[in-house]
Amino acid sequence: MPHKTFLSFIWPSLVAMLLFIALPIVSVGFQSLYVEHEQVLVVGETCGPFGCTEEVSVDAAAMAALRAEQPAGQFNGLGTYTNASHLATDEIAEIFATSENFSEIRNRIMNLPFYKALIFTLSYTFIVTPLVIILGFIIAVAVNAVPAMLKGPVIFFSLIPMLVTPLVGSLVLFWMIDSRGIIGAALQSIFGDPSLSLKASPTLTWITLFVYGVWHSAPFAFVVFYAGLQTVPRDTMESAMVDGANRWERIRFVTIPYLMPLATFIALMQLMDNFRVFEPIIGFSAAASATSLSYLIYNDLRAAESPLFGSAAATSMLTIIGVIILLLPVLRQNWREFNRKT
Amino acid sequence: MARLRLKNVNKRWGSFVGVDNFDLDIADQEFLVLLGPSGCGKSTTMRMIAGLEDVTEGEILFDDTVVNDMDPKDRDISMVFQSYGLYPNLSVYENIRFPLRVRKIPKEKHDEMVMEAVRMTELEDYIHRRPAELSGGQRQRVALGRAIVRRPNIFLMDEPLSNLDAKLRVSTRAQIKNLQSKLKITTVYVTHDQIEAMTLADRVVVMNAGKIQQVGTPTDIYDNPANVFVASFIGSPAMNLVQGTLENGVFEAEGIRVEGLPLAVSGNVTLGFRAEDAEIVEGPAQISSPVYSIELLGEASMITWRLAGSLVSIKTHKEYRADIGAVVNAAVPASICHLFDTASGERIAHG
Amino acid sequence: MSNPAETKPLPIKVITISVVLIWLFLAAFPFLWTMWGSFKVEGDFFSRANWFNAITGPVTERQHGSPFTLAGYEGAWIEQEFWKAVINTAIVTVFVVIISLTLGTLGGYALARSGFKYTFWLLMAALVFRAMPHVTLVSGYLLPFFQLNIWGYLPTTIIVLVAINQPFTLWMLHSFFLSIPKDLDEAAMVDGCTRFQAFRLAIIPVMWPGVITTGLFSFLLAYNDFTVTSMLLSQENQTMIPQINAFLGSTQEEGKVMYAVAAVVSAIIPLFVLILFFQRQIVSGLTAGAVKG
Repeated sequence: MPHKTFLSFIWPSLVAMLLFIALPIVSVGFQSLYVEHEQVLVVGETCGPFGCTEEVSVDAAAMAALRAEQPAGQFNGLGTYTNASHLATDEIAEIFATSENFSEIRNRIMNLPFYKALIFTLSYTFIVTPLVIILGFIIAVAVNAVPAMLKGPVIFFSLIPMLVTPLVGSLVLFWMIDSRGIIGAALQSIFGDPSLSLKASPTLTWITLFVYGVWHSAPFAFVVFYAGLQTVPRDTMESAMVDGANRWERIRFVTIPYLMPLATFIALMQLMDNFRVFEPIIGFSAAASATSLSYLIYNDLRAAESPLFGSAAATSMLTIIGVIILLLPVLRQNWREFNRKT
Repeated sequence: MARLRLKNVNKRWGSFVGVDNFDLDIADQEFLVLLGPSGCGKSTTMRMIAGLEDVTEGEILFDDTVVNDMDPKDRDISMVFQSYGLYPNLSVYENIRFPLRVRKIPKEKHDEMVMEAVRMTELEDYIHRRPAELSGGQRQRVALGRAIVRRPNIFLMDEPLSNLDAKLRVSTRAQIKNLQSKLKITTVYVTHDQIEAMTLADRVVVMNAGKIQQVGTPTDIYDNPANVFVASFIGSPAMNLVQGTLENGVFEAEGIRVEGLPLAVSGNVTLGFRAEDAEIVEGPAQISSPVYSIELLGEASMITWRLAGSLVSIKTHKEYRADIGAVVNAAVPASICHLFDTASGERIAHG
Repeated sequence: MSNPAETKPLPIKVITISVVLIWLFLAAFPFLWTMWGSFKVEGDFFSRANWFNAITGPVTERQHGSPFTLAGYEGAWIEQEFWKAVINTAIVTVFVVIISLTLGTLGGYALARSGFKYTFWLLMAALVFRAMPHVTLVSGYLLPFFQLNIWGYLPTTIIVLVAINQPFTLWMLHSFFLSIPKDLDEAAMVDGCTRFQAFRLAIIPVMWPGVITTGLFSFLLAYNDFTVTSMLLSQENQTMIPQINAFLGSTQEEGKVMYAVAAVVSAIIPLFVLILFFQRQIVSGLTAGAVKG
């Protein structure tokens, strides 16, 4: 296809992606170098029957003029990146200088909002992803072995936790684990502790979120593995049987190696999706104990009086860098394959 | 009706050379076959003629018009594709009518032209079916009908028989030959099957690794292969080739010794001869070696030796029997031998 | 199909069946439970006395004279005007699906048929774009959108969702078009079509299975979106999912939480129907990426 024809087919799509994906990334990079204007204060006198008092107030007109002139705020360089709510370079240096042992360092770092969110995001990504793959595989193998009439309904119900949006899915679970909900009440009676609440302790909240993540994504792994199982070459399977492999050995030496590329695919998709974990935190009202990078950005943009664009942008940039680091192995592998082909 | 010329045509993708300096004149009404193994550039050459692939360098001319920058639709060609490229949502009739429709040929002529093509491809009973309801051979004929309905200047066929089973291939081959001679349209036909090439072609172009190896009539190519590649590609079985040394008109290799070859050449050569030209004899002869295998083909038996690392086969009468491992002799007179330079693969002389 | 080597010993049969049943329970129960509970009052669904009340509904019966009540739905749909959000969601999803597919089929077709190197780079860029957390992009939109005064409107959100959806749509349709033999459109071009005519006459009639599958996922993206819609739409243009989140803020008072439960169930029902009718296409769409890389 000549370049001109190619372009005439792809330009609408290309323009959409450039305007609303590439350009916003640039815009984020730009915004991250600015901070909100300092408030312009005026001193006015209010005079009453008991004499005049000086009063400091925000000069709304001057602020509006300033905003109109420099909508992004004032230039701050990399200041936002290094401040206490992001990379917190000074605080980190101080923590390492003054802390006495490892657990103190850990506790103090966990008090810095960016690191707290980063650690949760990474834990979520790297705990949920392997669990999803393992659970998905087990379900796929089990479903593959049950009578055909069960398979349809199982797939039908399996798709629901995945296709329902995370906010709604997590709300459904959230209401059930409420101390007055069925799971919450059940746990209380199992452990004989009427004050037990999954929402109370940070550790339990983290575990709840991980469980939710696995519940939400395992169907995806299951469906992909299940489809893969239908195409395991019969010849290889039969030759393994003839060679005397037992049931477990057939799974170990035929099925698993054959499904490996699918596992890689699932891992890639899951890493991308889990890294942006965000809605469950809202659904479970878990922000007090667990925040993610995406949640930090959302929170900055939702800030009550005026959105903290600079702060949100800096976190966004750091997140984007994180995504690229995460994708680096994939991109490198694709690049190698591409080079081999040419 | 058109004459087709390719002037030093090249196709490159980056540093990869697809077609290297292809230069050929194709006469009006000629049936030309491009023959070669897969990846040799034959399909690319045809796709450049069709305008489906850009020409990197060189010129393609239809009569006296350079068509390099012309869209496929403006070239007045028709093409039969390997997987037929039938429109699955249209009936056989509509598939064949499609070129007339998009080329804005007056509607009142359509029915007559389509039915003519339907008759020639013997599809009368199927005109209302969809492609999915047809067998492979019938689909192939629909593709053929769609190609001939418009009487183009040039016919292009890209491995049209390779998806058919062996029996159907023989009958469709004959049908294509018959159609072409009736319609008298210049045809370029791509195949990797040397029997198709030999049976259909006025002239064959043998290609390998993007380069033309030899151009000639089927007989030419069979009798006088230009190099080791052509010799090993044409014929069933292909020509026997043994590497050895030639000195004073005597070729020698493990298990074979041929005298009376030209005196002018010496050094490392490859000796070639056809299985059907040599014969099994009692008593001393050029080949004398233990048999590697014996295969019964039905109409003949084939005896195979392993000489200097290459398998060498000779056809003999069907009652012939020998034990594997027993020494058997065969006559390979110098007159049936071809000599090739081992280093370059080029033909040196006829025995 | 049954041969001696494949008959399973009893313990394995028992284990596989129980794994499947446990999973079935885990996947389905929360939704069935919530659906059932949405017809109760808060005192039953969140019962302090006994969880069994959520099934029988004694408090509901006391308050409304029947163990089932539509009070939650009434509150959400009428009192809180959830129907407005439903209409907005309908508008957003319909347009997002149509526009995404139009752009995506054209682009995906071009990517599948062009042999040049830049297609590789475009697909890689699309992969990176696909991985971007949506909220990072949103933080890039807000300020410019405020400046341009286009914040808060449905069309803005629709275009943004289309763009965010493009990388995925392009990948999916690209691999789908690769599975349509090149011979088909080339035959059309030789028969006398321009590239665009070939696309229209030869490709469009056969592309519907792939387009429907991709369309389902575009629908899910638009329907399920929370990040973009919650940040880019003004209060009156809110769609369902952000609206549900907004309910949560006002559910501290007795009874209001049932509005949210009813709204959540209302949002889940269309997905049930969708999966019921398109289960096969969804499964094939999920696995398409895996099979074709």
